[in-house]
Amino acid sequence: MKRSLRRRLLAGIIGGILLLLAVFSLLVYVVIRGALLRQFDESLASVAQVLAASVELDGNDVELEFEARQMPEFQDVERPTRYQFWDANGAVVAKSPLSSTQELRRPETTLKNLVFQTSRDESGQPQRSVGLKFAPRIADSDETQQGRQKDEELFTLVVARDASDLHSQLGLLRWLLVNASAAVVILSLIFAAVVVRQGLHPLNSIAAEIAAISEENLATRIASENVPAEVIPIKNRLNELLCRLEASFKKERRFNADIAHELRTPLAGIRSTIEVALARNRDPVEYRQALEDCLEIAGSMQAVVGNLLMLTRLEARQISLETDRIRLAGFIDSAWQPFSDKAMDRNITFDNRIEPDVTFESDRANLGTVLSNVLCNAVEYVDDSGRIWVTARSADDSIEIAVSNTGCHLTSEQVSQVFDCFWRVDSSRSDTGAHCGLGLALVQRLVGALGGRAAAVTEPGGIFSIRLILPASP
Amino acid sequence: MRLLLVEDYRPLNQSLTKGLNEAGFAVDSTRDGKEGLWYAMSNEYDVIILDIMLPGMDGLEILKKIRSRGKKSHVLILTAKDTLEDRVAGLDLGADDYLVKPFAFEELVARVRALLRRSYGEKNPCVRVRDLKIDLNTKRVWRGREEITLTPREYALLEYLAMRAGQTISRTDIWEHIYEFRSSASSNVVDVYIGYLRRKLDRSNKPDLIRTVRGLGYRLGAGS
Repeated sequence: MKRSLRRRLLAGIIGGILLLLAVFSLLVYVVIRGALLRQFDESLASVAQVLAASVELDGNDVELEFEARQMPEFQDVERPTRYQFWDANGAVVAKSPLSSTQELRRPETTLKNLVFQTSRDESGQPQRSVGLKFAPRIADSDETQQGRQKDEELFTLVVARDASDLHSQLGLLRWLLVNASAAVVILSLIFAAVVVRQGLHPLNSIAAEIAAISEENLATRIASENVPAEVIPIKNRLNELLCRLEASFKKERRFNADIAHELRTPLAGIRSTIEVALARNRDPVEYRQALEDCLEIAGSMQAVVGNLLMLTRLEARQISLETDRIRLAGFIDSAWQPFSDKAMDRNITFDNRIEPDVTFESDRANLGTVLSNVLCNAVEYVDDSGRIWVTARSADDSIEIAVSNTGCHLTSEQVSQVFDCFWRVDSSRSDTGAHCGLGLALVQRLVGALGGRAAAVTEPGGIFSIRLILPASP
Repeated sequence: MRLLLVEDYRPLNQSLTKGLNEAGFAVDSTRDGKEGLWYAMSNEYDVIILDIMLPGMDGLEILKKIRSRGKKSHVLILTAKDTLEDRVAGLDLGADDYLVKPFAFEELVARVRALLRRSYGEKNPCVRVRDLKIDLNTKRVWRGREEITLTPREYALLEYLAMRAGQTISRTDIWEHIYEFRSSASSNVVDVYIGYLRRKLDRSNKPDLIRTVRGLGYRLGAGS
């Protein structure tokens, strides 16, 4: 959602207010208009009733009582009220003095039924009229012709009154409602803008705090006191995120420091070997010795860099696996080959106890690296004249390979650290730095990439084992 | 001057031992922490060059132990750890200098020389005893205007005497500071070398520089 929160809140608030105002204004208008019309109509109807009552039928003559004609409504020229009578045949019997020029329309109506109409007079002014049929009174009789109502004897009366006052009142009402609504909308827009800005202020202050956090001060946390309840979870999650970020930065810095350390020592070796060799003229044997030393150091540095590269690739999941059927016993024998001379020198016994028919599927190259590292570690830390042996146990869908050696003095805490990068038993290195504490870290990650897991265990009698639990087929 | 080098990384240990030897120091070296402590406790070293990460015993632990037992040797820490905390920790435990790997061999030697001057209260790298002048940096020696050529061993002997000019120094003392632990030489060789030195330094028209203090040892320069 890209739209700004402030705009959305404002639009919501203003839209709601607008809708409510519209409905409310409409309601008010309809009710007031109805009331005004009803009032107008009632007054018109009463005039009509009076007029109707003032008509007297004397034989064939129609007489209108004087009082009725003299009513003030009929005298007002500005806001004239007009009337017109028709007899049953539709002939105009009488009309008001002011309606000389205009004929009122005779409505279709029935006895006692009032028909209201809005129309315009000849000058275009709005007028409202009421039409009714009535039976005129018979002269010298107080009765109307109630008893003998016949259509042909019913008169029709229309009373029309100028309605411009009513219309202008309604116009004023409309103007008031529209303008009041507009004013309310504008005021609430201003008010809402302030409220929304105040409401969103904690977000801005948190944003400012986050903006102030850089790589160097990841230890700071978002403090923002008095943040609203809704923002607290965001603040807490952000702080947790910062925690994780800080930890991973710390880990990376440590890792980089470790790398630097691992590379600095051999570099110091190369440098001082060369500098000392160059300090004076020497015979070729000494130069050769210095060069061989440097070459050896370079080789071990290359191994460190290679391991680091592999670790990085593993972390980025950039290794490709090719599954192959592996005959384990033979595979172990060939992995042991590079170490056999060194083991012989130290009188170490190697025992491959894997049955010749054990096979499983895995990636040959990577499994080779794993075994080579595990065996290298065993040869490095086995006691002189000690033993190294390899066993395997097959389960339904997995195989467990264990490489064990004697002469282990690790505490259980140290065992839990053997897979950490750059960890070594006494934080010290061997002859040329070939074992810089990356081997088992690499083993653990590689076995993970092969779909299995690695574990380190110690057993009584100074026995140390690395167990590789691998899927029988990936 | 006698140095102890405790550094477990074989190529560095070998080349430093060789280089320091060639620079005229008597060097004992070991790659093990515990052995390093034994050396430091059982001999009088002018300077101990100490790595921190060591098998057997941590370098800082060694430093703590030798200081707690009152050893006055100057200690130069040599390590790949270069964080501020590491340096402060080392110096606070009583180290006199700190050098981060990798380093220039020449700088190491210069720092060792500076520590040596400090241990003998000599700030000037050019030591004068009467008309004898010794440039500690270039290891050249003059008597008056005449330059005198010495073998490294002769120079080492003269330098030690010059550093403690005016004091009487016993044969054993001299021997301890000029010869490394593994040397087969006995303190009698000191007399032999003093003889060589005298032959090269003394001039018939000038007073003798090295005097024999009967039953006690030798003394260079001033003092009756």
